[in-house]
Amino acid sequence: MKIVQDHAVYFRNVSKVYNTGTIALNNFDFPVEEGEFISFLGPSGCGKSTALRMVAGLGSPTTGDVTVFGNTPEDLIKNTNDIAFVFQDANLLPWRSVLDNVLLPLELRGGNKKEKKEAAVKVLEMVGLKDHLTSYPRQLSGGMRMRVSIARALAAKPKLLLMDEPFAALDEITRQTLQMELLDIWKKEKMTVLFVTHNVYEAVFLSSKIAVMSARPGRLSSVIDVNLPYPRELAMRTDPAFSKYVDLASASLENHEPRKETV
Amino acid sequence: MAMSEVEMMKRQTALAAAGKKKKPFAATFKEMYLGPIAAFVLFISLWQLIPLVLGLPHYILPKPTDVWEATVSDWALLAEAIRITVFESVIGFLLSAVIGIGVSVLLASSKILERSIYPYAIILQTIPVVAVAPIVVIWFGAGFNSIVVISFLIGFFPVISNTLMGLNSVDKNMDELFTLYNASKWQRMWKLRIPAAMPFIMAGLKISCTLSIVGAIVGEYVAGIGGGNGGLGYAITVAAIQVKTSFLFSCGIAAAILGISFYLLVSLFSKMMLGSWHESAMKSEK
Repeated sequence: MKIVQDHAVYFRNVSKVYNTGTIALNNFDFPVEEGEFISFLGPSGCGKSTALRMVAGLGSPTTGDVTVFGNTPEDLIKNTNDIAFVFQDANLLPWRSVLDNVLLPLELRGGNKKEKKEAAVKVLEMVGLKDHLTSYPRQLSGGMRMRVSIARALAAKPKLLLMDEPFAALDEITRQTLQMELLDIWKKEKMTVLFVTHNVYEAVFLSSKIAVMSARPGRLSSVIDVNLPYPRELAMRTDPAFSKYVDLASASLENHEPRKETV
Repeated sequence: MAMSEVEMMKRQTALAAAGKKKKPFAATFKEMYLGPIAAFVLFISLWQLIPLVLGLPHYILPKPTDVWEATVSDWALLAEAIRITVFESVIGFLLSAVIGIGVSVLLASSKILERSIYPYAIILQTIPVVAVAPIVVIWFGAGFNSIVVISFLIGFFPVISNTLMGLNSVDKNMDELFTLYNASKWQRMWKLRIPAAMPFIMAGLKISCTLSIVGAIVGEYVAGIGGGNGGLGYAITVAAIQVKTSFLFSCGIAAAILGISFYLLVSLFSKMMLGSWHESAMKSEK
């Protein structure tokens, strides 16, 4: 296990077959280094969410194995706050205020009450919701709810942030703002991020590396290193280099032959 | 049962929201209240006129004025009967709420326990309370204790079935969130399942509160004792034997008003509990 310590996540020949016989993931082999921003890009049914959920211990591989910082996901979940998960819908508890929602993970782990509150307020400040501590989820817009959800994930200071199409349900303008904010947070907190999306532009804009996946059976079809500099600006989207990566990723989505791409 | 109640509440909320545009009071009055008031006045007038026209004696069909007179003249008797019935049904209701929620939480905390016991709870529920009442009287003796037990029994099952349904209908993603934070079984119960079940629990309590009055009155029929300790049920039996039909009507109307008041009170409590978060509590409930 010592050899893989520098890897945040390691998928080793992971396959997942459901009881129905569907092959959700076939021989998925993929290392993620610490500090990377990885997107799993692919059509529905390509197993990208299945792979992400395995990293969080919300499902186990049929064959192969997944390690996170050299441990099993289950061990990490049990003993540390290293893994945080952001769901597609904000998944907030409607009976809790914004602050109490962010406090939830800290509450469940126990500890000093005052420190927890300070930590929660700090992450809410980071996502720009300092003035909404006492609001309830139903009083917030979709974008604000997702911000609370991200704040909740960050509250316990995770080393690995897993995001399952978090911005898919948001409008384009809100999405762009949240993408910028997410990149800021990623740089500031020096986390590793695994980000599932079916949006090519989103994947190119955010990621340091894209794992393009294809469906039936779900598998890795290519890996694209996105060598665009950070911090990334919205203006970059019209840059020829940006377009090149978008073309590459799109082509790779259509091409079902497995291949390795580096630019 | 619970689901339909919850669905109904949602639909009403939607309707209320749709109809909620600022209108002058006169228009709202015309639209909303004029009809029911007119119908009420018409009904009372017909009720007053028909016995007069047909020459029906007051012990067959008392006129509203007869009922009013009976209510006023026997007010002391009626008030005492109401007081006793309220006391019995409130205790019966509180018992069914506390024990019902407690048992549900216990059952929901263990799948094996729930699977073993819940089917029998359903079977017990189908036994009509009237059929069980005499047994209760044999066990607990005539009077207060038996009446409270009968009132409890009738209100208990709606609370259990609604609460259990609520505790088991937690959103899958929220459940996974708790798994991710390594929540213990009881953390999950207190911080997720019980709060998520609140709308269901409240729907159960609303059903059970009116039933507890029915239970108390049935209890008083079967186990009621006189000597100034009989509630509405006992007053009804006595009035029926004495053919005091007008007073019978008073008792019936009193029981109805009691039921409505109790329901409104529990609705208010439900609104306070669900307060800021649940959509059924956001707009005024009907």
